[in-house]
Amino acid sequence: MRYGILSYGAYVPSFRLARSIIADAVSWAVPGVKGLAKGERAVANWDEDSITLAVEAGRNCLAGFTQRLDHLQLASTTLPFADRSNSGVVGDALLCPAELTTEDLGGSRRAGSSALVRLGLSASARTTLLLAADCRETKPGSTQEMNYGHGAAGFVFGTGEPIAVVKGAASIHEDLIDQYRATDSDYDYALEERWIREEGYNKLVPRAVHAAAKNAGIELSEIHRFVMPAAAAIAKGVAKILKVDAALFADPLTAQVGDCGAAHPLLMLAQALETAVPGEKILVIGFGQGADAIILETTARLADLQPTHGPGRYLKARRVLDNYTKFLALRNQLDLDFGLRAERDNRTAQSVFYRRRKDITGMVGGRCKSCNTLQYPRAQLCVKCGEIDTQAGESLSGLLGRVKSYTEDWLAYTPLPPYIYGNVEFADGANCMLEFTDFEPGQVKIGNAVRMVFRIKDFDGRRHFRRYFWKPAPIPTAAD
Amino acid sequence: MAKGIKDKVAIIGMGCSRFGERWDCGPEELILEAFKEALADAKIAREEIEMGWLGLFYQEQSAGKSALPLSLTLRLPNIPVTRVENLCATGTEALRGAVYAVAAGACDIALAMGVEKLKDTGYGGLPERTKGTFDDLWLPNATAPGAFAQLAGAYAAKHHVDMQDLKRAMAHISVKSHANGVLNPKAHLRKEITEDDALNAGMVAYPLGLMDCCGVSDGAACAIVTSVEKARAMGYTEVVTVKAMQLAPSNGFEMSSTGWDGSYLHTTRIAAQRAYAEAGIKDPRKEINLMEVHDCFSVTELVVMEDLGMSAEGGAIKDVMDGVFDRDGAVPCQIDGGLKCFGHPIGATGLRMAYELYLQLLGRAGQRQLPSPSIGLTHNLGGHPFRNVASVSVLGLHSA
Repeated sequence: MRYGILSYGAYVPSFRLARSIIADAVSWAVPGVKGLAKGERAVANWDEDSITLAVEAGRNCLAGFTQRLDHLQLASTTLPFADRSNSGVVGDALLCPAELTTEDLGGSRRAGSSALVRLGLSASARTTLLLAADCRETKPGSTQEMNYGHGAAGFVFGTGEPIAVVKGAASIHEDLIDQYRATDSDYDYALEERWIREEGYNKLVPRAVHAAAKNAGIELSEIHRFVMPAAAAIAKGVAKILKVDAALFADPLTAQVGDCGAAHPLLMLAQALETAVPGEKILVIGFGQGADAIILETTARLADLQPTHGPGRYLKARRVLDNYTKFLALRNQLDLDFGLRAERDNRTAQSVFYRRRKDITGMVGGRCKSCNTLQYPRAQLCVKCGEIDTQAGESLSGLLGRVKSYTEDWLAYTPLPPYIYGNVEFADGANCMLEFTDFEPGQVKIGNAVRMVFRIKDFDGRRHFRRYFWKPAPIPTAAD
Repeated sequence: MAKGIKDKVAIIGMGCSRFGERWDCGPEELILEAFKEALADAKIAREEIEMGWLGLFYQEQSAGKSALPLSLTLRLPNIPVTRVENLCATGTEALRGAVYAVAAGACDIALAMGVEKLKDTGYGGLPERTKGTFDDLWLPNATAPGAFAQLAGAYAAKHHVDMQDLKRAMAHISVKSHANGVLNPKAHLRKEITEDDALNAGMVAYPLGLMDCCGVSDGAACAIVTSVEKARAMGYTEVVTVKAMQLAPSNGFEMSSTGWDGSYLHTTRIAAQRAYAEAGIKDPRKEINLMEVHDCFSVTELVVMEDLGMSAEGGAIKDVMDGVFDRDGAVPCQIDGGLKCFGHPIGATGLRMAYELYLQLLGRAGQRQLPSPSIGLTHNLGGHPFRNVASVSVLGLHSA
């Protein structure tokens, strides 16, 4: 029994926007973005945010993981709620017990990597799920619009049979404001890239890296892989200063995903673990008003979790987003006129939500103790046998469903028409009319297998609230 | 043992406003338009009405809550008036209230009024509404076409029918109803369409195109009912009586269990069997002369033919294409244009169906009169196929 990383997981939303599409749309005004128009970036669907991205990464972390969680941390610079426990919502969606302690971490792109350092340096008997997710919106025509992506990753730290152990870690803080976002601002404000590279990466990262190596008692020459969320040119410069081979720096996923902010060091680490061999020493770097560095060493247990936990399958299961205005509209950067139906008042009766919070956030239905029928939503009387108060709570969120009927509705309002919904059948008699997500028009067929994903159900723009529920989605297939 | 409603209550007067986009009037004017016709038909004084039922669905968006819109509009002499609402079965529910009151002996003459003023809401289709504080948290924000469209896919899958063949049968239904609507001066849509028009119309909710959807209309319809004994005393020798009025709401079976495959209307089947038993009908296809069914969408009418026992399981497409339900077919359906073309002011719809049967049975249907029908059926389906309220009524001629 040792302390270390017990499990990992990642999630990247399926939409991919070719950067050339952005450039084609905006280069009339900002020709400079043409130079960035290579590869594609990941884009969250309209119903995804940092909470839902984290839930999906968390489900991958916890797949097959049987130890009890004590603590849940959610790191992000884009938590949807400033006051409402975002990590608590994630915990409920992951069916964690109410006794779990939850903690929201933010305020910096290093929220995720700093949490890695802290967890790494404080071996504990407690089991912690650290999730990092970011879903940063960007100003049309900005370099951030080109460079950013949306994604999430997570790690379980605790005592058990780790897949990787922590050798050492260090952090430094320096208030070099390479970019910032005020709390009342929608977008990041970034400073000049050459200054950030020369005064930032080239000077601050080496300080943190050397401190971590010293803490670990190892030489940098022993490191097999460097994980640093930065462009290849920046990595090349840092490698030179560190006197290590630039080829040891991991692919920053620029061509497929883009920079996922607080989640990116963790996402890249997850990607590294997916392909790592036992005994590999990995150095993870986080950057932003200082730097974090943590050195891990993989164990023989790693192979047990490869390759289903990392981002690899999401990198393959991609959907092409080929329309710039659609991208803007999905991320609420373009106020399209969806007509009267979009005016519906989505006020949530919070006392109702509180009574049924497990049913909604955890998709907890009921299994009748008399006739064993599973049903959603649960009710006092069984839908099959009519017995009263016989239903024990049981979540349907992990079940696969089968499409019994569906429609593509062009009349109903949704930010991404058509509004697809239908009747889905689950095991043991459960059956439910549900809103679908992540399907292209024409993709749903009767008889399709679907999996449930946690998503935003409705926005209440008037009260700045959003409510979440579970939706049937396609089962990711590696479309090589 | 209860014997049911058969031949206990007679309809002695009916009225129906012109349906359509009645920009010229509000719910009050619609109510009065229908009421004046019914009162003149019944040849009674307004003061002879002892009780009233008002059917209205979208209260906040038109006339307001309660029975007051009826009582105030007609300046009724403070008689008991009750508002009923049961989704798209609302109009039939108003009639059921009046019929049951007369049958119970609580009064001699009762009024059933249904009204809906949809065209003041600003919506093209039906207005958005909350599904309830809990359901809003999880149920899809489905529209009526989206919910009913699923019948088509599930029906095609169950019976191994090519969607194009099903679409063609659905088009036939719409073409037929448009042709019927042309002959009805009170209908909302009075324009013939072709099968190609129906097949090529813009998609609303796959596979339902615009021509698969009924009109969203303003309108009112009403009935004045009395006991058969009272009708006889009033001098009637042959009256239209209620043979059956049955209602079957969902209990969760369709949506919350795997027993339902989505291809048929469970509650309609139950309501139909009960109505046939109450009316003493053994072979509906042979005994019923005409039908007004809830053709909110073309596919609804198609599957309802099986649910009502008019077509064999999986046989509705052939029957529709063979013209069984056309105006010159064995069992004409929607001879007045139906919801499709007469229009669908929700609270009035059930009473509008009864109105058409009443006219046809009494030989007063003008250009669209069928040759001597003696018994007819009305059917409403409120809500969505996965969760709904179905009503089936049978009206027929009776010697008083």
